[in-house]
Amino acid sequence: MEFWNNIVNTALLGTDKRQVSSNELPAEIAEVYEQLATNETLDKEEKFLQITSVAFNYRQCGSTLFLKEDFIFQKAPAETKAYCNAKALQVLSDILQEQSYSLLEFWLQHCYKQQQIVLPEMIPTLFGIAANKKNLSIIISQCCGERGLWLSGFNPEWNFYTLENDDDAWQNGTAEQRKKVIKKLHQADPAKAREWLQQTWSSENANAKAELMKQLATSVTEDDVAWLESLQEEKSQKIKDVVLTLLKQIPASSIVTSYRGIVEKSITLKKEKAFLGMINKTALHIQLPGIHENIFKTGIEKLSNTKEFTDEEFVIFQLMQFNPPENYETHFNSSPEQVISYFQKEKATQKFLGAIVDSIVTFKNNKWATAFMQHSDEFYSGIISVLTEDQQDRYSLNFFDKEPDNIIRLAKERESEWSVELTKEIFKHTAKQMYQYNRAFYNECINLTPATIVGELETCTPQEDHFKNAWSNMSEYIGKLISLKSQTIQAFQSSN
Amino acid sequence: MLLTEEQILALAPDESSKKSGKELANPAKWVSKGANETALWGECQGSGSKPYQAQIDLSNIAFKCSCPSRKFPCKHGLGLFLLYARQPKTFTSAEPPGWVKEWLDKRSAKEETKIEKKDKPVDAAAQAKRQQAREQKVSDGMEELLLWIKDIIRNGILNLPEKKDEFWGNLAKRMIDAQAPGLAVMVGELRNINFYKEGWQTKFIDPLTKIYLLIYAYKNIASLDENLQADIKSMIGFTQSQDELKTKDGIKDDWFVLAKQVAQEDQLAVERNWLYGINTKQYALVLQFYAGNQLPAITLTPGVLIHAELVFFPAAVPLRALIKEEFNIKAISNIEGMKNWNEVVEQEVKYNQLNPLINNYPFIVEQLKPVQFNNEWWLQDKEKNLMKISEDFPNIWKLVSISGGDSLSLAVVGKENNYLPLGAWQNGVYKLL
Repeated sequence: MEFWNNIVNTALLGTDKRQVSSNELPAEIAEVYEQLATNETLDKEEKFLQITSVAFNYRQCGSTLFLKEDFIFQKAPAETKAYCNAKALQVLSDILQEQSYSLLEFWLQHCYKQQQIVLPEMIPTLFGIAANKKNLSIIISQCCGERGLWLSGFNPEWNFYTLENDDDAWQNGTAEQRKKVIKKLHQADPAKAREWLQQTWSSENANAKAELMKQLATSVTEDDVAWLESLQEEKSQKIKDVVLTLLKQIPASSIVTSYRGIVEKSITLKKEKAFLGMINKTALHIQLPGIHENIFKTGIEKLSNTKEFTDEEFVIFQLMQFNPPENYETHFNSSPEQVISYFQKEKATQKFLGAIVDSIVTFKNNKWATAFMQHSDEFYSGIISVLTEDQQDRYSLNFFDKEPDNIIRLAKERESEWSVELTKEIFKHTAKQMYQYNRAFYNECINLTPATIVGELETCTPQEDHFKNAWSNMSEYIGKLISLKSQTIQAFQSSN
Repeated sequence: MLLTEEQILALAPDESSKKSGKELANPAKWVSKGANETALWGECQGSGSKPYQAQIDLSNIAFKCSCPSRKFPCKHGLGLFLLYARQPKTFTSAEPPGWVKEWLDKRSAKEETKIEKKDKPVDAAAQAKRQQAREQKVSDGMEELLLWIKDIIRNGILNLPEKKDEFWGNLAKRMIDAQAPGLAVMVGELRNINFYKEGWQTKFIDPLTKIYLLIYAYKNIASLDENLQADIKSMIGFTQSQDELKTKDGIKDDWFVLAKQVAQEDQLAVERNWLYGINTKQYALVLQFYAGNQLPAITLTPGVLIHAELVFFPAAVPLRALIKEEFNIKAISNIEGMKNWNEVVEQEVKYNQLNPLINNYPFIVEQLKPVQFNNEWWLQDKEKNLMKISEDFPNIWKLVSISGGDSLSLAVVGKENNYLPLGAWQNGVYKLL
């Protein structure tokens, strides 16, 4: 195509500055050029245009094929899983049309459970979503089979598959991938996770170390104590802070043990005379003993930041937050219910209940959470995460009228469906708050919404006329989402 | 039912109609519904007191609905069609009700009237005078256009990226005044070239050369073959009476609708329907133009085989056609294409000999494999020849995923060394791309 480049160069500069010469053209065109050159009726522009016209057709008629015999293009491996049925694919297409990512996740989970995969033509659309919605990337990759894995190799934005192989992701993955791997591994095999971390520890920078350590927050155990305590000598304050936070979650750590000692010295149960010495009563005495200054290097603040607490009380409150609740049972030789009642008796001690709730959450103690649920008139949002699903429903319903928005916020974090009763209460409230709880809210919560609520949606209609029409439209939308959810279940049931 | 869900959705005028149509593809939304070989009908309970009556002519896909929507087809028509595609057994197969019968009868009566309609007598002398005046205007306009081209060539195209809109716009307007709308469009296309993309020079020189060739050909039109004369006139913007064309004999064949490309040009939707005659191995391009709320005269569904008579516009390489008569939809049979790129290139050379100015040709090519080479996507034939996939092709990942590294028969449109895939056959099923 050298001749065409010469024509382009002439066109770029203009015929005033450059002319095409016959030796720049292939022999066949050069012949025509010679004839044109001698034609005195044509100016130089028209001569150029005519030779370009000939060259243009010469080029388009003489396009040579690009033969590449030695080039091997790797085929996608054969699928080992079955494709999902037409009905399931239809529902998937409707869900994508609806742009409901909660339903998409629901559909993908069913597809994965059935060990099925999507048709190849759906993969690019799903990968496009996975690239933007990182939380869906793994489940999407799991439903795209061998074809998805093969296809992802052509587009660097679709590198979700490296997560499939933990070892590879740990060695070569991005920071996000490595964090996910270490979190997953520590939950399944803490010893191996520690080993991996120790192996690469010296080559990580302080930020990476801190971020990786944060991933252990939900799974630290007694076995981690020795290693974590050895890390307290690290130079970086960031790492030290994360390690300290982790150690405060382990009852067997020396820091929690030292806190326990101070808390038990600070809070004592004393018998007192009441009603002019006619009756005996037990009451808590809370007073901070002399403590070593080192305790304040563990994140405990010396000065109170609230009027409610004196400085000493505030120190005790902070220490109680990290004292496992079961310790009070042995300390007072009482049941959780009794301990709670000791604190509830006096105004001065009631304010410490919040610290016990914090410790219930930190140490995930269901027995104590249940005791609080049954014996407290106050709503402690924190304990919801420690209750069983059934308890969560009951606790939420008990306090719904007092704290509706708070309870809805917590309900959205649940992993299993709400009960119909709780859903009704939630919808009765949200039906009156159309701006705060719009379509996006129902869309996000569709996985948590039970299908049987469809028959109850009318009972959630607000009394106020101006809300009725809006709720009617919203009910239709919720109905549509639930219908897609039910269709998903049916489609995968029928493939069994 | 011969139409798949994908094909039905391709008939929707916009995304929201698709969505609403899908919502109505639910038996609970329909008060009644029925079907026979020629039509589908149903009554859908909308917001009004009476249900909307939707009906579809299956023999020559057409919709009618009593709803007030300006969209065509409306969501009720689409919903009914989708519902039938999904659950045909839920439709009763009784005689159509009166309102359906009436519409179908009217449609066939209209067709007959169309055929019987005769041309009004024309004043030949006045027509010739008008024609002569127009030819003069076109010639004058072309002289100006030639001067403009020569100025560009003399000064060089290096500074063209800096030219303002008026540089192109004024000349395009002048071509409209000269009654050469085809040339106006070609000048407009020069303006739309992306001057900041690598290779813009050739992308500019090619169409500029075509304009020059067109001017030169028009000057010497009397010496050209009659069909090429028609091509040249059509490219300049002379129109051909479609009614007159329809009086001519066409080609009856089973036409496979390869693709429907819709582009918005100014205020007008330009619909390009690519067809392939199974028996005649003839390709056809059926163009339709319509504005905003107007309805296209015919509805062609990609992936469907229709038995129809097509009349081709006179041309050196006949491609643009009109549907003179559409008979019915047929079951898809095997479609044979070209065996390799070599056959395509040879065919193109033949076409170029007849008319070097055509922009794109459609082809069906068997056993093509989408492959990545040097970070670009190509279509490799069984002889290992590579042909570049157009960089404008938006669905490359869909094509690659469907293929999985295997060969597929593909419908493509393009020229020289660049092709845009339109659809692919996978396990005998045509998938739109």
